[in-house]
Amino acid sequence: MRVPLSWLREYVDVQLSPEQLAERLTLLGMEVKGLERWGADWRSVVVGELLTVEKHPHADRLHLTTVNVGSGEPLHIVCGANNIAPGQRVPVALPGAVLPGDRRIERTEKMGITSEGMLCSGDELHITSDAEGILILPPATPLGLDLSELYGDVVLDVDVKPNRGDALCLLGLAREVAAATGATIRWPEIKVEETGGPVTAKLRVEIREPELCPRFVGRWVSQAKIGPSPDWVQMRLQAAGMRPVSNVVDAANYVMLELGKPTHTFNGAAVKDGIIIVRRALAGERLETLDHVERELTPDTLIIADPTGPIGIAGIMGGFDSEITDSTTEIAIESAVFDPVSIRRTGHRYALRSEASLRFEKGQESRLARIGADRVAQLTLAWAGGVLCEGRVDSAPTEPAAARLAFRPARVNKLLGADISVDEQRSLLRRVGVETEEGASGMRVQVAAAPKPLVVDSGSEPTVVAVVPTWRRDLAIEADLAEEIARVRGYETTAAHLPDTLMPAYRPTPLRVRELIRQTLAGVGLSEVVTHALVSPLDEARLLWPDDAAAPAVPESVAAPSGDDIVVTNPLSAQHSVLRRHLIASLLDVLSLNERQGRPDVAIFEIGKGYARIDGRPREWTRLAILLTGAAEPAAWNRVARPYDLDDAKGIVELVCRRLGLSEPTYVPDPRGFPFHPGRALVVGQESGSEAVGGRVAELHPDAVAAWDLRAQRVIVAEVAIGGLDVAAPTRMHVEPIPRFPEVERDLAVIVAESRTAAEVHSTIERHGGVLLRRVRLFDLYRGTPLAATEKSLAYRLVLGAKDRTLTEAEVDAAIVAVRKGLEVDLDAHLRT
Amino acid sequence: MDFESLSGDLHRLMDHALAEIAETADPAALDELQIRYLGKKGDLTAVLRGIGALPPEDRPRVGAVANEIGEAVKAALAERGTELRSVVQAQRLAAEKVDVTLPGRTVPRGTLHPIPETIAAIAEVFGQFGFMVYEGPEIEDDLTNFQMLNIAPDHPARDLWDTLYVDIPGHLLRTHTSPGQIRVMQSTRPPIRALLPGRCFRYEAVDASHGFEFFQVEGLMVDEGTSMADLKGLLDEFAHALFGPRKTRFRPGYYPFTEPSVAFDVECVVCGGVGCPACSKTGWMTILGAGMVHPVVLQYGGIDPERYQGFAFGMGVERISNLRHAVPDLRYYLENDLRFLEQFR
Ligand SMILES: [Zn+2]
Repeated sequence: MRVPLSWLREYVDVQLSPEQLAERLTLLGMEVKGLERWGADWRSVVVGELLTVEKHPHADRLHLTTVNVGSGEPLHIVCGANNIAPGQRVPVALPGAVLPGDRRIERTEKMGITSEGMLCSGDELHITSDAEGILILPPATPLGLDLSELYGDVVLDVDVKPNRGDALCLLGLAREVAAATGATIRWPEIKVEETGGPVTAKLRVEIREPELCPRFVGRWVSQAKIGPSPDWVQMRLQAAGMRPVSNVVDAANYVMLELGKPTHTFNGAAVKDGIIIVRRALAGERLETLDHVERELTPDTLIIADPTGPIGIAGIMGGFDSEITDSTTEIAIESAVFDPVSIRRTGHRYALRSEASLRFEKGQESRLARIGADRVAQLTLAWAGGVLCEGRVDSAPTEPAAARLAFRPARVNKLLGADISVDEQRSLLRRVGVETEEGASGMRVQVAAAPKPLVVDSGSEPTVVAVVPTWRRDLAIEADLAEEIARVRGYETTAAHLPDTLMPAYRPTPLRVRELIRQTLAGVGLSEVVTHALVSPLDEARLLWPDDAAAPAVPESVAAPSGDDIVVTNPLSAQHSVLRRHLIASLLDVLSLNERQGRPDVAIFEIGKGYARIDGRPREWTRLAILLTGAAEPAAWNRVARPYDLDDAKGIVELVCRRLGLSEPTYVPDPRGFPFHPGRALVVGQESGSEAVGGRVAELHPDAVAAWDLRAQRVIVAEVAIGGLDVAAPTRMHVEPIPRFPEVERDLAVIVAESRTAAEVHSTIERHGGVLLRRVRLFDLYRGTPLAATEKSLAYRLVLGAKDRTLTEAEVDAAIVAVRKGLEVDLDAHLRT
Repeated sequence: MDFESLSGDLHRLMDHALAEIAETADPAALDELQIRYLGKKGDLTAVLRGIGALPPEDRPRVGAVANEIGEAVKAALAERGTELRSVVQAQRLAAEKVDVTLPGRTVPRGTLHPIPETIAAIAEVFGQFGFMVYEGPEIEDDLTNFQMLNIAPDHPARDLWDTLYVDIPGHLLRTHTSPGQIRVMQSTRPPIRALLPGRCFRYEAVDASHGFEFFQVEGLMVDEGTSMADLKGLLDEFAHALFGPRKTRFRPGYYPFTEPSVAFDVECVVCGGVGCPACSKTGWMTILGAGMVHPVVLQYGGIDPERYQGFAFGMGVERISNLRHAVPDLRYYLENDLRFLEQFR
């Protein structure tokens, strides 16, 4: 809400500087977001007096003037306006002046005559909406005075919170200023002269939906003359951010800003038979609203109608046909209270939200319906003349009394952690207009209100009864009064105290495993990224990353369920309209961005979520995704570059397994092809107790790389599920005693067909190694002479030992023979010696 | 042949040997000299062959002289050997000299993203005060995200959260981490000290200070006497831990799910409170919102507001990170330009 300080001062004295006032309001909860110097964009605009006004010799529509600006020779200024005459005081932009919009005024030549500056209209100065005529200043305005000293102002931009609809107006904020400074409020004198006949002869109102329109006050002005409102009114509206329209419309807007009461003025002649009906729209009814949009009304819309049909959407916008125009003379004033929820829904339905509807949504004080109608009538008479009919049409003239709210001062202190005496609590409340009375025992205290009300009996606890002013609809429960007491006392006085209450029981942090993995991966050269969860639906189609269901090696405890995409129904853009199921596409986007920045070496990881809908319910799971491309070790003066390959990704997964206390993972080839290199893709899995790892590691298919327009030759990716990423799964590692007896090493060179995998050879050795075999490690892979082209040799080092003795040569030989036999029989291998 | 002449031969031999040893520059040549003079077929042995021609009483005297000379040559060989080896070593070391000012071999080291790092920093501080990390779902239901937080379907405060909805009836992308309060209260009993970090979503166009995806950390503490003063005490500790010793202040805020509601300000980290563009000349920066948990919310959490009270707070992770690291643009976080990420070494 924009608050011109000069206007605010009409209702309350302000002794503080604008900055001090802003700080006080902010500390009171009315946050001042900004201070605008109104008129700061006028430079070298001064008050002048027209000495002569003559016709321009070469142009019919121009005038030649001489202007006294208080000092120096009179200026010769050419002017196109028709409302000027000698003796008037006007704003003069001197050569070098700057006007709003950074418009610069210089000495110019107009049709052969030099103009030494410009006479300004209200529109050019952005203080009134009159662009036709020059702004005529009051006759006594001092000559030569800088215009910013005359009309300059400070406008406060106050962020009024949604629960304080009562403060969305100058009087409401004046009340807050008074609470902060102790000043008193000056209400405007609201008085009308009723010289016309009875209003009932002109206006009848029929409320068919009293639930949605609890009060409707109508008044009628005849013989009004529509025209611009006085300059000072236009200036106030303009500074407060509203465009002046005409005296009658401005009167309604002025009252809305002054009292927070939205009203509507109809062209009375357009209201058939002077009958206003408040009802729901009928199916098929249409209305052209003030913004010239023809709208189809839905049956739950509350409308203002006359006997022929709709003339306005209640509380939102009036109809075009009943708009006040220059020829309007009969004015029907509507000052009503509408149901906030109904207004909010209607505003959303028609995407029509106005200053008026914003105020209706927050709830309206019943009494303001009466006061608002009178004030609009008063200002209409003052600015547009006319005759006010006698009396009001009022659908609910009985105004509700102030609510009484009992509270326990001890509870207020307990909540605030403060020690404020009962008397002080009461006097703090009085500063915001909340009168108090001593309470009795056994009072009903409202601890919570709807939607989950709770009322307790105060028993013998001392109570105070707060009499809540009708405008404070936000004060409904005990805690509201506690806030009010704290607020007026000053939140900045809150004591700082460290809690000395019980501690909760231990709970392992779900971040533990994630932290472990993050630190580990950063330690081996990968950079962490965090990408969008909302992705393009094209990503999934472009990559076709397979679900875990197609990978039996992934342990069931960590496998992600197959499901459908969850789609955002109101996305900001298609680019981010689907919740991702996999992370790799996002990492490819990161690679693409960095490639464009000339960064071909990218090693990144993300621990992020996948999402899907399963049986109509949302599911979320957490994954580790890795992308490697370019040089693993970039070339340096002391090293040649080494590109990333599949083994790097596997090595990282193996490292993660070791960090989690799992043994080496198993690898199962996945020859599916796209999106993977058919010969360089695998499913990885390992499970032990509550720990499990499972997922995919692959080099991307060149077509997949091309689909992302990447320059990279090879892109290695992995997406793995890890037990403990979602929930902490602390594992305990058990130590093996250091062997007391020496271990024996034997090397085996196993020659097998190319089609055999290392995993097969390895598991065969382990299977036949017996209890003495402790470890197996591949240390060489050889192809070439003297082997056949269809063969390869895998060299393993076997470590054997026993807990209780040194092995004999014969025992070791027997174990090795068993392994050899097993390899020969199971894999058709032969051993190189 | 007499003793004198043989002894003279031996001394000449020694002089010759010592001279030759002294001249030798190669350790291998020393080995040859050893063999030539002291070997079984060496010169010393050859001279001693003449011993048989001497009278028997002179033979021991010649033996003694020969021994002396043998020892002297041996000693000279050893000394010269040591000398020569140290020269060779010194030459090798001199040849091995490198430019030690060249840079080292780079050990690959990745970087950690500021969002999880900031969450970890926040969790570390509150963890010291017994706050435990919980996580709630990102796809929430309207009930938990709004209604149980005292935000009815047509509450005007709904304007504060522009919401993204999904194609599962009654569900949306959580607009804040606050629904986690309900989930924690429903799953555990007081005393509660919980911290809820996570991703949130809003219908908001992207610019330097807005995004449709962002991260928050929610805090919740509930016990019999937990007060607004406890909230101030803990938030002061937090602000000091992350931003150093600075002034802090409470001012009124507004959230439907807290009463009283609080905005927590810290002395501007840019100007130190004097006033600058970063703090809109107020000298203060708002770092989080907080308040005493509303009795309606406590009841939805299954907690009796007559017996228990508590506070909640919520902060934007990016906001905290921006202030700590002077990050100028919110888009940096989810864009993942390595030129940004690699600064967090
Ligand atoms: Zn500052």
